[in-house]
Amino acid sequence: MHNRDIKTLLLSGSPDFWGQLAARTRASSDFDELFMLSVLRKKAHLRHHIAPGVVHEKTRLALVGGYSLYPLHDLLEHLCEMEGFPCEVWRGEFDNYISEIMDDASDLYRFQPQIILLMPAEHRCKYSGALTDARETQQAEAGRVVQSLLKLICKLHEKTHAEVIVTNFILPARHDLGAYRSRTLGSDWTFRKWVNLELGLNAPPYLHICDMEFLAHRRGGIEARDERSWYESKQPCSSALLTDTAREIVNLIRSMRQAPKKVLVLDLDNTIWGGVIADDGLEGIEIGDTSPRGEAFKAFQKAILSLKQRGILLAVCSKNDHEKAAEAFEKHPEMVLKMEDFVSFKANWEPKSDNLRQMAHELNLGLDSFVFVDDNPAEVEIVRQFAPGVATILLGPDPSGHLTQLQDCRLFEPQNITAEDAGRTDQYRSDTQRQALCSAITDMDSYLESLAMEAVISEFTSMDVPRLAQLINKSNQFNLTTRRRTEADLLALLRNPDYVCFSIRLNDRFGEHGLISVVIAQEENGTLKIDTWLMSCRVLKRQVEDEALNELARLARTRNCCRVEGIYVPTAKNAMVRDLYPKFGFLLSLENETVRKFNLNLDDFQPRPTKIAIKRRAYEPN
Amino acid sequence: MNQIEVISKLQDIFDNVFLEPVELTPLLSAKDVPEWDSLTHISLMVAVEKAFSVRFRVGEVETTRNVGDFADLILKRLQEP
Repeated sequence: MHNRDIKTLLLSGSPDFWGQLAARTRASSDFDELFMLSVLRKKAHLRHHIAPGVVHEKTRLALVGGYSLYPLHDLLEHLCEMEGFPCEVWRGEFDNYISEIMDDASDLYRFQPQIILLMPAEHRCKYSGALTDARETQQAEAGRVVQSLLKLICKLHEKTHAEVIVTNFILPARHDLGAYRSRTLGSDWTFRKWVNLELGLNAPPYLHICDMEFLAHRRGGIEARDERSWYESKQPCSSALLTDTAREIVNLIRSMRQAPKKVLVLDLDNTIWGGVIADDGLEGIEIGDTSPRGEAFKAFQKAILSLKQRGILLAVCSKNDHEKAAEAFEKHPEMVLKMEDFVSFKANWEPKSDNLRQMAHELNLGLDSFVFVDDNPAEVEIVRQFAPGVATILLGPDPSGHLTQLQDCRLFEPQNITAEDAGRTDQYRSDTQRQALCSAITDMDSYLESLAMEAVISEFTSMDVPRLAQLINKSNQFNLTTRRRTEADLLALLRNPDYVCFSIRLNDRFGEHGLISVVIAQEENGTLKIDTWLMSCRVLKRQVEDEALNELARLARTRNCCRVEGIYVPTAKNAMVRDLYPKFGFLLSLENETVRKFNLNLDDFQPRPTKIAIKRRAYEPN
Repeated sequence: MNQIEVISKLQDIFDNVFLEPVELTPLLSAKDVPEWDSLTHISLMVAVEKAFSVRFRVGEVETTRNVGDFADLILKRLQEP
């Protein structure tokens, strides 16, 4: 049995133990194996066997619900730690969630959770009347179930400002009621479906749905349930579904901290069409409805195109002759993807890892924003080794699986799709046009002038919150403090009079850039302290940062502040703004390894001249 | 299969789960083994049902007092069609 190896690593205090443990945890779908691994992890802690790498502060995660949350808490603790964000878990009593939530002095609130998981009891999601009652009556009761749940969730959030995860309801998997079950809203089947739908459609931004209806459906309804475990130990479902649920919750927690990927980079031959274009020629490659394989590749391309419509950038990285590769897109009538769908097209003979690095540089994005797809294991391995950070998908030999691999990769899941996402390819493409103009005009000032830039500066609004959160959580390079905030945090800032918060939108003659810069500052004793200042790298060297500073100074003066304090917190990615403050005339007041602080005396400050016309300023009437 | 054979197969499963080796005897019970807490117990039961391809009836595992009783229960369920 292979468990002996990992135990030996633990007992000998080997540094390889943690890597093995994480790898085994990732690969395992077995409930009992995961528990065994969790036991080993706890043993390692007892032996003060410390995992290498950064020590993260533990996130406080509270679990409440209508089920026994034991042993779910242990699974969650294990999976979170293995994913790199250890949690301190607090567990409510069995089916005590309503009083835990309603009682302001409960242990739940004393724990001060940052994330709360609520698993409402299934027995409270049941129609109380007759199957034959009027549909309006049944619908109204489903509505009340959703409202009372949303009220609990709202109370949780207002009291703690935590992000809330709620599990929805599993549907029954037995034949009870027969075909009649779908002709009334009074059956458990339709009633719970209705409640689940209403819950999802009415969820506030801080609420994340752990879709157990979907997870049970994916696993199979009968396998998802286990009546014995309910009678014996008040479990919500079978151990198999409990594992799926724990993994889904961990995925939700991860998505609160990590931005989704931004670029999908595709190989060509045997990836998005069958065959090799250089050998088989235009007529020989398999794409389109004339053969089953061609159909499969076409379906894959359609799915890729729909990712683009969701705001994902597409690129090509293929060992090919550029002209031959481009010809396939220009001339093949069945090709779904076209040249203009790609923001970067690298068909050459350089190593793919080099091409990806080059692409990252050109698009001003980190390698960790990229996903690379190839059918060749050697190419995938080169990228893994030499362009670490890039997520990879190694396609299987059967093209009918390409589409499902993409659909199951979990790398492009939107939290909230914003209008900006949908137009992103256009933005990057007009960037290319702008660059063309830039090379025509050599003088920077006349170039900026020719762009006819207009900016709208706005205080934070609740409508902007999803986009603000997205930018705050994914900007790395032009970001002075890299402080991440959730949508809930931002909504709280909106109401806090001590803070000055604004965003900047930029347009120019080539199109809209959308909301591209965010500033958060706190007023304290006559000083405006810049808590957050970030900008999308798409608008570097466009004087947006100058206008941001002008606005900050203006707002500081309207509040009778005489100083602005700037903070720079260095990270692996934000060296580009290391000297932003001194460049703008701030004076260094404190410096150590983790932070540099600067002051600007407003008496000495003159607004910086720019070529941007400001159409509106923050906190001013329209 | 008899009780001794069942215990010997159980030994493999326990060796896999526990870090410190535990020698299984018919009279051994959970309270004799520090590592055998309720979380480990859940994990053990899932592993045992899988390894023997048996399914215990509701509530019957908690009526067993020691490894011997438990092995007898496995035997009883193994004899079912």
